[in-house]
Formats: sequence, structure tokens, C-alpha cells
Amino acid sequence: MTDYWLNKLIFDLQGPQGKDDWTNRREEVISGYPVSDEMRAALLADDIGTLLPYVNPYLMRFYLLISGFDDEKSIEVLSSFQTEEERKRVNG
Amino acid sequence: MAKVVGSFAASHAPNIARSWNSLKDETRDWLSTRYGELGRRVKALEPDVLVIHSNDHWINFFLDNIPTFLIGIGDEHDPPPEPFMKGLFPQENLPGHARLGRHILDYALESQFDPSYSHRVKIDHGIGIPIWRMGFDEVPPIVPVFLNLVQEPYPTPKRCLAWGRMIREAIEAYPEDLRVVVLGTGGLSHSIGETTMGWIDEKFDHACIDLFRTASDETIAAELDRMLLETGNGGAELRSWSIAHAAAGGKGFDLIDYIAMPETLIGCGLAEWKLAA
Repeated sequence: MTDYWLNKLIFDLQGPQGKDDWTNRREEVISGYPVSDEMRAALLADDIGTLLPYVNPYLMRFYLLISGFDDEKSIEVLSSFQTEEERKRVNG
Repeated sequence: MAKVVGSFAASHAPNIARSWNSLKDETRDWLSTRYGELGRRVKALEPDVLVIHSNDHWINFFLDNIPTFLIGIGDEHDPPPEPFMKGLFPQENLPGHARLGRHILDYALESQFDPSYSHRVKIDHGIGIPIWRMGFDEVPPIVPVFLNLVQEPYPTPKRCLAWGRMIREAIEAYPEDLRVVVLGTGGLSHSIGETTMGWIDEKFDHACIDLFRTASDETIAAELDRMLLETGNGGAELRSWSIAHAAAGGKGFDLIDYIAMPETLIGCGLAEWKLAA
């Protein structure tokens, strides 16, 4: 599933002011995009599990970085949503 | 007439640049020596132009416009906007080769491909990291070719192999004497921004290496179709390797080196296809 405006919001944060805007003016940034109430709440709460099915993975990677998740923390939070099948695949 | 004098592939993980100063010494040494070897081999061929295939990483394109294949046909291209790529090249902007780019575009259209084109693209880490690590005193003119590998649906491996054969034909039909190196960047396995992030699928990587060493194009296409369904999303970038493979005539694969590299989140590999004289 692809949420165009949710992805557009994250895509636009790649600009030079993106991290500062996201850190200090998050509500204002979100108000510029017609995202659903559910997505708005998830963005405000860093609710990765709700956002994950709707965000392109490469944009999710960027979103995690500007939200302060380093590689280790990104892997930790994303892996918590693994299915059993994915867990088996990754662990051989 | 122009001719393809070399065909290569190399990984392009952003962490190679983003984390360069904090990588373990042995990781940085591995990267320095292997990309240095890649650079030595490419420079020894004295290329006039590099035709570089990579995928855009949401720098040039968004969901409102995603070309499956796009050829850069401008005289100049913008440097990577990613903060970790700032100032890594000897030139501020990267020179293009407009005439060869336009020729490849025309040849592709006459060969039943319908690529998009751009007179000015932003080079991102996908093309930028191999160029940086090869250590050019002056980066030769490039023809950047982007393929969509970040938002499904992607071009099929079969189509990418056909594209690679077309690229070789197009270059060899160019009337000016040019020495051209083809480079495909990306891979090998990685998983980015999805639940398996951090997974390096070494089984997949070694299977791909074996395919390029020994398999026919038909087998490579069929096996990649199957294997790409079961590995991380970054494995899609093996399509760029398959283009380099096909541009080399499907023979002569010579692995420079491969290692699973958790610090950069990828199975890191570099290869040359030795062309028949």
C-alpha cells in the first residue's frame, strides 16, 4: 500500500531544513500535507508500526534517520515487526 | 568507432561515505584497497567516457514520475545533494557526455526500448560512491543511466539483460572514436527500511556470483526472478550487475572481491568482466 502524501511529506524532508523542521516544527510540517488523522497521529508519536505498511522502505530509512534512529536502533525497531517467516529467512 | 573497453560492477552503500571516519580500520582498509583496485583497472583502460547504471534513491524522482530507465544526455550533471557526499569529487559538477548520451537514447528508441531522458540529473550516492572511491584526479565525462529499483514494479532481469546488450551495441555504433567503460552499481544483498533491515543474505550473494561466472542469460534471468522474491529489497540492484554482465557479452566475469559488511549493511562486492580482445 502506498500513501502518496505521507511519502511526499517524508520525501520533502530531504531538503537542507528537513531535520530541523522535523525536530522543531513537526506539527506545522504535517499540517502542510493532507494525511489522514491516523497517519498524523502516527507521525507525531513515531509510531513506526502504523507507518511501515504505507511508506516506501528507502523513505522509511531516511525517516528513521531524521527521527534520531541510528542503524542499530532502526534495525531493532523494524525487526520487531518481522513475521515468523521473515525471522526464519533471516536466521537461516 | 567507439568501443566498450571494460565492464565493471561495484556496490554503493551510503554508509561507505556517511560512516567513513567511524568505520573499523579493517573495514576502511578493505574498502580502500578493493575500490582502489577497481579504480586502477578502470584508469588503466584510459576511458573517454563512463556509462554508469544505477538506481535513483528518491533524489531525482518521486511517486509522481518514476522512469523505468532514464538516460542523462546533458553536458553536465549536479553533484550529490546528500550531506555525506558533499565535496568528495575533484570537480564541483560532474561532466556529462551529451553526444554519446543522445546517441544511446536514439539507439534505444530504435531498438524497441522507450527510456526517459534528462538534460541534467543529480548524481546521488549510487553513482557517486564508486566514483569517489576509485580516486580520479579528474572524473571523466559520464553518461548516467538510472533504472527504477526503489519502488515496484521494477524492470525484469530479462529486460535488464536485453538493455545491457543494447547498450553495448549502441556504444559500438557511435561514430566517434571513444573508449567507453560500462559500470553497474549497487548490491549485493541488503535490506533497507523494511522489517529485515540489516540482513545480509550471503547465500544469495554467492549464488549471484556463481551465476555471473557460469550461467547463460536465460538462466540468470530466471534465477534472479526467483531469488529476488526471497531476499532483501536491495538485492534488486543486482539488475545493474546484470546490465554490466550483458554489456560485456555475458562472459569474462572476474570477482575483484566480496565480503559481508555489516557496518555498511550490505554484501559488498566489486567485479570486472574481462572482455575478449
